[in-house]
Amino acid sequence: MYVKKSICLVLMLFLPSITTAAEVIEIDFVYVGDTNHSSLLGIKQGIDESNLQGQFLNQKYNLDFVSSNEIDEYDFSKYIAVLASLNTQQLTTLAKQLTNKPVFNLTDENNELRLNCIPNILHITPSNKMKSDALEQLQVKKPDSNAKPQSWHYSFVKFAARDLNKRFKKNYQEKMNDHSWAGWAAVKMTSDTVARTQISSSKEILKYLKNKLSFDGQKGSDMNFRVTGQLRQLILLVENDKIVAEAPIRGVAKPNTLDSLGILECEN
Amino acid sequence: MNFLWIRLIAIAFVLLPLTSNAKDRIFVTNERSNNISVIDAKTLIVENIIDVGDRPRGIGLSPDSNELYVAVSEENKIVVIDPDSLKILRDFEAGSDPETFAVHPNGNIYISNEDDAKATVFDPTGKQIAEIKVGLEPEGVAISPDGKRVIVTSESTNMLHVIKTPENIIESNILVGSRPRSAVFTKTGNIAYATAEISGEVVKVDINKAKIIKTGSTGDAKSKPKDVILSKDEKIIYVAGGRANKVIVMDANSLEIIKGIPVGKRVWGLAMSSDGQRIFTTNGVSGTVSVIDTNKNEVIKTIEVGKFPWGVVVKDK
Repeated sequence: MYVKKSICLVLMLFLPSITTAAEVIEIDFVYVGDTNHSSLLGIKQGIDESNLQGQFLNQKYNLDFVSSNEIDEYDFSKYIAVLASLNTQQLTTLAKQLTNKPVFNLTDENNELRLNCIPNILHITPSNKMKSDALEQLQVKKPDSNAKPQSWHYSFVKFAARDLNKRFKKNYQEKMNDHSWAGWAAVKMTSDTVARTQISSSKEILKYLKNKLSFDGQKGSDMNFRVTGQLRQLILLVENDKIVAEAPIRGVAKPNTLDSLGILECEN
Repeated sequence: MNFLWIRLIAIAFVLLPLTSNAKDRIFVTNERSNNISVIDAKTLIVENIIDVGDRPRGIGLSPDSNELYVAVSEENKIVVIDPDSLKILRDFEAGSDPETFAVHPNGNIYISNEDDAKATVFDPTGKQIAEIKVGLEPEGVAISPDGKRVIVTSESTNMLHVIKTPENIIESNILVGSRPRSAVFTKTGNIAYATAEISGEVVKVDINKAKIIKTGSTGDAKSKPKDVILSKDEKIIYVAGGRANKVIVMDANSLEIIKGIPVGKRVWGLAMSSDGQRIFTTNGVSGTVSVIDTNKNEVIKTIEVGKFPWGVVVKDK
């Protein structure tokens, strides 16, 4: 059972014409990792936003926590997806135990992990290779650049990034960073998929995420996954805490698409 | 005799500004130069600039066209301007981060409060009438011509919220493509069109059934649609194509693309003259307004305005 169904009164405010009880679908996520990690705040932001949408669609999203040393004993069966801030070894072991369940990698940038193409790992965080490719593109234009490649920055304003930064700061009095963005994105793309498809089996959700996703990550173009399980995304280049460029860098990137960054194929 | 002359001259001075200044104009909000460009509709030349405050975006007219409203987002207010004398008449608090709005036939103003996940309703004096909770990043507001329904799009919840008036409560929520930004009703109010920016789509919605009846793609990957408007005969929709730098002309029935009209960079805002002959576009990155002749569907003039022009409205009634 991935989904627990319960009877609950519909919020009168939103559906005033319905006065009878309606079914609310409950959807459970689980976070695995250090509970002081910034990815967790992003996850919470994502859960809040998903519930804001869920109130219009009778869907309720919940979050549980497991520390990395409890993984072996833990029963993951009720969860729609696992949100992980783990090292390569832990992540690989967990994903292999949970076949057909989406396991979101929020923090590990290991290139090998992309080449390995474990079918149920979805890498939200960019790989090292994506980051180094982004920096190389910038260095073609600015040979001495020592910019830091990042997936997110608190001063990013384009593509409604401003709005996400603003509401995150308001809720948690912290600046959104790469990991909190990753946590937010993982939850939001899952709840978007549940809302769109009305599917709540994690196997079917995984299939949709890998093949049909068109996600608004508030980073511009619609986002989807490579065969490697890596999320296609632009990379910000940051110098002295200021965004100096966005890769792919026009005129340099070949091809001039998100696929100029990182590993595209699996290693057989 | 002298006395009569003085009276006549005095009357003439009072009347003169009212008659000579009541001309047709196009008003454009410049998001990053914090002002309004005033374009003479006859000469298509910028005749004036009005400073309004930090980040003006949505713009619209009262039903009688005697007042111009501007949403000044960063100052959380609506500024009211006399569209003839170009004087600022008053302003009022409009909730947090007012982005855009539509004016109801009864004069009330329906505002999307972008960072507050709600829509608020004000009368023209600034008295709040209602507050309606909607999804995240509400943006587009459309009102049916009969005033019975209002659509608010929520960009980060991917929904059209259909609100019935005068109750000001949500009647239905329609899930659409990613980042719905703008909507428009047909004259009957039974059908609406909306754009979804990130998924690059236009949806045609049956409002009574709260269902999408058709989805059309706006073409290439660069096309991130924003504003949508209907031709006078409602056979054609015009869609601002964002970074595709064109206005996409689509068949209103089939949602097939008829033509792309190249305009300036990052086109977002669209407004039509009341006779349906002209469309004015705001090209944010270029800092221009393109004027389209709807008979030929071609640009006939490009007008330099301020930095990042956003909203546009035509006063010709």
